[in-house]
Amino acid sequence: MSETQSTTASADSTEQAPQTTTGETIEETRSEWTEYGFDGQAKLTAEGLDVFYGDDHAIKDVSMEIPEQSVTALIGPSGCGKSTFLRCLNRMNDRINSARVEGSVSLDGAEIYQEGVNLVELRKRVGMVFQSPNPFPKSIRDNISYGPRKHGDIETGWLARLLGRSDEAVEEELVERSLKQAALWSEVEDRLDDNALGLSGGQQQRLCIARALATDPEVILMDEPASALDPIATAKIEDLIDDLSEEYTVVIVTHNMQQAARISDQTAVFLTGGQLVEYGNTDRIFEDPRSQRVEDYISGKFG
Amino acid sequence: MASSTRSQLVESDTSATDAVAAGAVGLSAILFALSLAALFEAVTIAQPVAGVSAVTLLGGLLAVLGTAVVAFGVGSWLGYVETTPSSSAGLVAASVAAIAWFTVAGGVASQTLGLGTAGGIVGGLLGGAVAFAATALTREDLGSTVPVGALCLLTGLVFATGVIGPEWIWDLGWEQTASLTAEFVIPVATLFAALFAGWAAAKAYGGFGARGRRLGAYTLIYLNAISIVAFLFILVAFVVVQGLPGLFTGVQVGAGVGPQTTIFGVSFTLPLSVPFVMNGVALLNDYQGVLPAIVGTIWLVIGAVLFAVPLGVGAAIFLTEYAERGRFTQVVEIATNGLWSTPSIVFGLFGFAFLVPRFGNRKSLLAGMLTLGFMLLPLVVITSREAMVAVPDEYRDASVALGVSRWETIKSVVLPAALPGVVTGVILGVGRIAGETAPILLTMAGGTFVPGSQTVDVIGGFEFTAAPPFVANPELLQATSALPYQLFALITAGVGLGDNVTSPEQFRWATALILLIVVLSFYAIGIATRYYFRNKLRHD
Amino acid sequence: MPTVTDGERTGLQTRARRQAERFRDFVDDTSPEALVTMTVIAVSLLAAFVGFLLVSSLTVVPFAVFLLASGYGWFRHQEETALILTLTTTVSTLLILGLIIVFIFRESIPVVQYESATVFGVSVPGLRMFVETRWDAVASPVRYSMAPMIHGTVMVTVIATAVAAPLGVSAALFLSEIAPDVVREVVKPGVEILAGIPSIVYGFIGFTVLGPWASDQFDLSGQGTYLFVGVVVGLMALPTVVSVAEDALSSVPESMKSGSLAVGTTDWQTMTSITLPAAFSGVSAAVLLGVGRAIGETMAATVMLRGVPRLTEPLMNVFYGQETLTSLIARNYGEADGLQLDALFVAGVILFVTVLGISIGAQYIEWRMRRKLGGEV
Repeated sequence: MSETQSTTASADSTEQAPQTTTGETIEETRSEWTEYGFDGQAKLTAEGLDVFYGDDHAIKDVSMEIPEQSVTALIGPSGCGKSTFLRCLNRMNDRINSARVEGSVSLDGAEIYQEGVNLVELRKRVGMVFQSPNPFPKSIRDNISYGPRKHGDIETGWLARLLGRSDEAVEEELVERSLKQAALWSEVEDRLDDNALGLSGGQQQRLCIARALATDPEVILMDEPASALDPIATAKIEDLIDDLSEEYTVVIVTHNMQQAARISDQTAVFLTGGQLVEYGNTDRIFEDPRSQRVEDYISGKFG
Repeated sequence: MASSTRSQLVESDTSATDAVAAGAVGLSAILFALSLAALFEAVTIAQPVAGVSAVTLLGGLLAVLGTAVVAFGVGSWLGYVETTPSSSAGLVAASVAAIAWFTVAGGVASQTLGLGTAGGIVGGLLGGAVAFAATALTREDLGSTVPVGALCLLTGLVFATGVIGPEWIWDLGWEQTASLTAEFVIPVATLFAALFAGWAAAKAYGGFGARGRRLGAYTLIYLNAISIVAFLFILVAFVVVQGLPGLFTGVQVGAGVGPQTTIFGVSFTLPLSVPFVMNGVALLNDYQGVLPAIVGTIWLVIGAVLFAVPLGVGAAIFLTEYAERGRFTQVVEIATNGLWSTPSIVFGLFGFAFLVPRFGNRKSLLAGMLTLGFMLLPLVVITSREAMVAVPDEYRDASVALGVSRWETIKSVVLPAALPGVVTGVILGVGRIAGETAPILLTMAGGTFVPGSQTVDVIGGFEFTAAPPFVANPELLQATSALPYQLFALITAGVGLGDNVTSPEQFRWATALILLIVVLSFYAIGIATRYYFRNKLRHD
Repeated sequence: MPTVTDGERTGLQTRARRQAERFRDFVDDTSPEALVTMTVIAVSLLAAFVGFLLVSSLTVVPFAVFLLASGYGWFRHQEETALILTLTTTVSTLLILGLIIVFIFRESIPVVQYESATVFGVSVPGLRMFVETRWDAVASPVRYSMAPMIHGTVMVTVIATAVAAPLGVSAALFLSEIAPDVVREVVKPGVEILAGIPSIVYGFIGFTVLGPWASDQFDLSGQGTYLFVGVVVGLMALPTVVSVAEDALSSVPESMKSGSLAVGTTDWQTMTSITLPAAFSGVSAAVLLGVGRAIGETMAATVMLRGVPRLTEPLMNVFYGQETLTSLIARNYGEADGLQLDALFVAGVILFVTVLGISIGAQYIEWRMRRKLGGEV
């Protein structure tokens, strides 16, 4: 049984935890719980981020630093803003008309919400994999080379061939490399011209990962990438994430706590109302959470 | 790793060069407007504008525009302007340039050089091929600016120096004679050149590459959308302006001026008299009107709705609620869509062949009602089906789980939920058929120039007869007029209006206006209904 | 679950057997009184229809029986009555299409036989209408050639499509992908209202304003050009193209577009590389339906064209507008009699078959695409 703890409000704590209907114990959040000291560079930094969907305050004053070349997991019950936060990192929230973003997000120190930011360039560097696999209705090869082709890095039309500057060899090499990185090459190497929609769910998702890798990103955002897949496919994806984190910065949203505990280096816990309640080293969060709400969530009392 | 190009995340300020490109876009917009004005003779090409003849002005501005576009392209290629061009301008731009140069080169070869049709085609192909190559094979900043700019420059100079002046004419030498006159060619050539150059300038403003092409495409698409809306406004405004004088001839406001009406047993005279909609055509009228046609249209609509709505909604109910998806429903769907596409004149022919012989072998209001009903039917079926299919299965499942029979479910759950869609569909469908002439032309039309007292009186016409079919209504079986037919008759015949009409021209425009008002009212009500229901559902 | 079949015949057999089984179950489950009522309703309606078809004055009798039986059934056995009534309304839709086909074709038979031509010694009925190009209902030899009208319809339709297709698809892209919500709420109703303007009004404006202006601009003798009739008809077909194409574009799943944007493309690149190809079938169907609409346009053409059924000289002369299939019918129905009237029906048959073919073609394209993306929402 947990007891409600009333803590003295420190000067830094800004808000009262809202009334919850999910049985979370009510306590004030502490800013020191969200400060995470780590070695190395911060790849992405959010400061005072607030997101509104119309009148709905979806993300409340979130600040966190995401270390480079590691796996950061965002966990929490449904509807607490994890995906919304993720989508701020590559400005995919711009697609939603009613969304309003205040605060700052920076990539390698450069603010991405300022005037004159090249969104195409941003999304080249910050790739995304979605919850449901969404390959294009094209061949496997065309799916992978889609990004570089649109960026002008690969040209293989009849015109390019005419002018003697066709990049077919470059394309083949890129496709092979990306598929190998996504652990899909051996399964599709002899049918690269087949329609991508003919692949199984797990294969499609790995194709989407390969597609994201083809643009040579620095960050890979993953929004519950394995939630639509069976356990075997999920295991393959988790292995893949582990390999990817050596080179890329991976930020993954998951509602599966065990998954977060398995694969991530650090974990951020979002709870009701779009609040970041605690953020720290994964092992510590799961073994010894500082916040009562987080402990309740992890031990399954709600969510 | 990958050889992908890395650009800046945050772009630097390039306000000076932006201004040049923006200026070019603005100039092309001005030219576009000017050439439209010249085409519709708001400004005749010979007359002077600001001290210079219009042709010279157009030509000069066009030349300036062409120079600006070329300058930007060359400047980008030489590195003076910071842009991100692709390696080629692409097939689309190349095709457009090819077509433009084909036309110009062909025209020059055929007419100026006197080489005739064959020479024109050869010259055109040559010019088009060169333009295609120049656009596709050079880097994007050159390819999408130089061929366009050169064309504008050339055309501009030709107009400005008077090589093609206001007196220019090109007789095409056909048996059915036609010529291209300067009044047409100069504005139209300027229009297309300005459009083409504006597109190139917009791409330049975006710095070429993917962003430039996006800006160029958006410019054209926005222009298209704005033009369509503007066209609608101009059309309606034009009809209103032309038709209002005729509509308001002889209008009087004041007590006791209008006709007598009885509402709920109380009779009084309306204080407003609008002869155009209250009179018919009669020798002794002060002012002529189209009342019989208006009444005819109203009855047509009522009859068509009474026929089509029960049939259409019933068919939709059966298809969505009772029948399984299979061959039968597919066939009905194909048939309904086919009926929806069928030309209105074919419905007229059908009414003529099928209905007219069965209603006394002459044209009748009833035949017209049924023919329009046949036209309305597929519309009702399609919209009702859409509305019913949109009702979520959960509603039906919940009702059935409570033990309610299928028809009861339909009646109390599906139909009320689908009602907004059905109603909207019917209103819009009515709007469409109210304006149709062809179906009633062959089945009903007649009696266009009758006095107001002879408006068809359907309700009063019912009577019992001794012999089968025991119920008759001679009013339904006579040829009557309706607004669309009235307008058609006025255009083609024009006689029979009598001496009292001071301006047959105004009368015609007024008829067109009243028809437009009736039809657009239905559409407006239909669209408003849809909004109302959509907002109501959103707040539920 | 259908049993695994190894041939069409067995498949049909099992389907028929299942239908018969369902019918038998229904008969068993329903009360005899309700069954009788349903049968009376169906039979009386059929009899009334036959009576109407035969121009019999006794038609009112079975019709009255139908009304009485329906009323009775509605109050006593509403469930079953609703079923039979909705079934009859559905059948009536098919029936109307069938009647149209029968009656239009029937009326055109005499003139088709009159206009026969011999090919290799075999007399082919109707061939002469497409081979000879003279239409003359008065002077001997009397000929009813469809060729000039087909030429006219083709000219007008080609120009109309050249106007409606690019402008329509671009407007549809605008409405579904580009326009901000506020702008969309203004432009979309605008396009719908454009669809509402009656064709006779277009024709009237074309005749009064456009015609004289065009004759002046091109130094023509007389008034009426295929070029401007085509432009006007194109503007009339535009709303059809816009609404169908917009539906198709809107139904491309957001996940696909997001996938493209997330890889770092502009929204225009996403539109041209992902959205348009994915919606290609719907957009093609939209253009096809626009073509069908252009072919069937009557009143604007009738009022604006010259009305002399002949080919233009030269064939590509867009500055002279003679007659289309639709305007031929609308103009001549009044005085036409006998064979000439039947010739109008032939024009109607050509129109009907062409437009129906286009409609079925458009539906087939959409059906094929839905199957190809099979399962893809």
